Amino acid sequence: MELVLTALGLILAGGLVPLPMQRWSTGARATHIALLAAGCLTGMIGLFLTWNQEAISAFSCTWLQVLPLALALDSLTAVFLLPVFLLAPIVALYGYQYLDRDVSPWQTGAHQLCFSLLIAAMVLVTLADNLFAFALAWELMSLASYLLVLYDHEHEESRRAATLYLLFTQAGALMIFAAFGLLFQATGSFTFAQWGQAPHAVKLTAFFLALVGFGSKAGVMPLHIWLPHAHPAAPSHVSALMSGVMIKMGVYGLLRLYFLLDEPAPVLARTVLGLGMISGVLGVAYALGKHDIKRLLAYHSIENIGIILIGCGLGMLGIASHNPAMTAFGFAGGLLHVLNHALFKSLLFMGAGAIIQKTGCRHLDQLGGLMRRMPVTGRTFLTGSVAIAGLPPLNGFVSELLIYCAAFQGVRLQGPDALLAMAAILALALIGGLASACFTKVVGIVFLGEPRRPLSSPIAESGLSMRAAMIVLALACVLIGLWPEPFIRMALHGLRDLVAPAAGSPDPLGSLPENLALATRMFLAVFLLLAACRHLVYRNKPVTQGATWGCGFTRPTARIQYTGTSYAREVVEFHQPFVKIRTVHKPITKIFPGLTHYASTVEDRAEIGLHRLLVAPILRVADKLRWIQHGHIQLYIGYIVLTIAVLLLVV
Amino acid sequence: MNTGIDVVLVVILLSVLLSLASSRMMALVKIMALQGAMVSIAPLLLDEHSPLSNEGILFFQLMFLIKAALIPGLLYLAVTKVAIKREVEPIVGYHASLVVGLGLILLSAYITHHLGISLTGDAALLLIAAITTLGGGLFLMMSRTKAITQVIGYLMLENGIYLVGTALTGQSHSIYLVEFGVLLDLLVGVMIMGIILHNINRTFDDVDTAYLGQLKD
Repeated sequence: MELVLTALGLILAGGLVPLPMQRWSTGARATHIALLAAGCLTGMIGLFLTWNQEAISAFSCTWLQVLPLALALDSLTAVFLLPVFLLAPIVALYGYQYLDRDVSPWQTGAHQLCFSLLIAAMVLVTLADNLFAFALAWELMSLASYLLVLYDHEHEESRRAATLYLLFTQAGALMIFAAFGLLFQATGSFTFAQWGQAPHAVKLTAFFLALVGFGSKAGVMPLHIWLPHAHPAAPSHVSALMSGVMIKMGVYGLLRLYFLLDEPAPVLARTVLGLGMISGVLGVAYALGKHDIKRLLAYHSIENIGIILIGCGLGMLGIASHNPAMTAFGFAGGLLHVLNHALFKSLLFMGAGAIIQKTGCRHLDQLGGLMRRMPVTGRTFLTGSVAIAGLPPLNGFVSELLIYCAAFQGVRLQGPDALLAMAAILALALIGGLASACFTKVVGIVFLGEPRRPLSSPIAESGLSMRAAMIVLALACVLIGLWPEPFIRMALHGLRDLVAPAAGSPDPLGSLPENLALATRMFLAVFLLLAACRHLVYRNKPVTQGATWGCGFTRPTARIQYTGTSYAREVVEFHQPFVKIRTVHKPITKIFPGLTHYASTVEDRAEIGLHRLLVAPILRVADKLRWIQHGHIQLYIGYIVLTIAVLLLVV
Repeated sequence: MNTGIDVVLVVILLSVLLSLASSRMMALVKIMALQGAMVSIAPLLLDEHSPLSNEGILFFQLMFLIKAALIPGLLYLAVTKVAIKREVEPIVGYHASLVVGLGLILLSAYITHHLGISLTGDAALLLIAAITTLGGGLFLMMSRTKAITQVIGYLMLENGIYLVGTALTGQSHSIYLVEFGVLLDLLVGVMIMGIILHNINRTFDDVDTAYLGQLKD
């Protein structure tokens, strides 16, 4: 615990120390990264030292003489802290060159401070053990990330996205604090540990309120609206951090509350599972329809949160139906996917950032042929794509397989839960397939083929620090894929302090991790063998190369290549009632047609619904009430006096 | 009954009425100085007042200095420097304001009774005076057009808030957290308003709040 607190201090110093040295930009950035890395390394060491300790280490102090703050480091905290400590220095390293442009030194300094604050706040959120500590850390996290999204504040679009994000995160916090308030009212205690004694009805209400709040942070489907706006607006490494790590804090909060409440009602598990399936399938369906590369990745975050929630929901079902194997598989899969998603989604956002920085363009249909021009970015992006699609032998496959195992355990349950588990299997399969389709689209269009528009200058590979960060993450993805045993055990370790181990079955996972490791390695071996065979067979034969998407034409032009729209159209149309497609098209009517055009956009149902049901009525009412705002200060004070008088005399 | 506190409370009430009826800006500032002095010594004269600690002594000295000297001094500077026309320019006339002030005393006596807090002797009277001061401050802000009278009304409001706090806690707590908060708030508020007043005066050649309406969207 002391080491983790030291790490917190170092991370904060990483934000504060560079402030006075902004004139020496290189030095300031290097100090920022060095201090962050030192802090995260210290934290990591602290985590590993306490990893096998049975006792939960705790720390408490009083703030302003009245607010008790309590921190505790238990196994679930440790599992969620790991991606924070792992990702933060890598993302900062990427940011070293990504932010290499002419901005005022103060802006860079403020950015570094917010970056450090966000990381420290995430550490505090996971450590918090009472209401005050959690509330403070949660708000700090929201505000720091809001300021980070606001980095490009001179753009109108950035400001709008940041405001939308702030609205969502604050409304979510409102729900969370309402839930906490209910629990406090029922138990009279600020410490988390006491909340298990609340009555049944209060627990359910509090859980569903908090589900809305944490869900809006995590980006669960109907509450995800801020994600596709905030991620494209933020700098890429901030998107990487927010999408990779911060939205997981919503999942953390949900799991923490679930275990605190100790409420085995199956309705909670069913809700979480259902939400997970909706976010998973619709997230990837929307992602297919998007053409902005960062927006597409943002929808994939929603999809992956869906997968994590499916895992956690299955684990909760396992608890509700006293099935230890299902509990273990579900939660282990969900928690491992938290780490995996943090790795490959950060990698993908970094790749997208490199592309946008070098080409100045984020629309899929205008990019092309980047694999040859940016080989490192291309190959690491491809690795991340394979991982996110859940294909062996990479890490996405490992965690998704665990969740599949949990679902297959669930099929043996009685009643509606078996159906739900079956639906979860179908949803996972659908998600996997659609994600593969989506990333073949991205990689195929952005990296293969030919550039679709004349390049003003030759595109070079991105900077060294950016490449290093991407390579490290890609290697981590491969490592977890080929060496899954310790990581599966690590994810399962997260449950140690929370779920009492069932008597009789010492290891709920059985020999699965070892078999899985063998399988992925064999898969890789077969793959390499086949590649070698192909090489041997084709050695002495002439091989002609045509352009990708050339479709057999001898002289294809870049304009007849697949576009993102045409590639994904069939799949997106399949989801028609849930996904709204708007096409602008002038059909060809004459024999000698004139100029025509075709454009299609996919609109988010949740966004339309929010606008129609909430925003529009509020605006209408507010418009009617405009006369109150007349600008006479004396009358404003009159309003205050009137309110006070009424309150004093009537209430 | 303690005669000292009664005298102080009467002076405070009279200062409120006087401020409502005065037509000159300078007189208003002087009244505020008197009221600040009275308000800052009022808690010392309460019966249930506990012996002062070292911090307490320091606090009351600071309090007296700020409320009775520093803030009126700043106001004095503002009035002379900005060269405001010396009339108060009321929306509600002086006599009507006086009647409203008397009504406020009645109303606050009723509210004190209505709140139903069991207060002993002095504290009940203190609460009446406090609410009257509070209401008087609000009324002053409402019924005068000049920006500087808004500041003075705000000061009176804060005096009232401070007195309410004194009446309700009876100085039974040892740390002066709330009082310090109020004081700091006040000082910063007056300074900011001084700066803003100066700027408004430069921009508009007047500090009548009616012109501020032109700033809105």
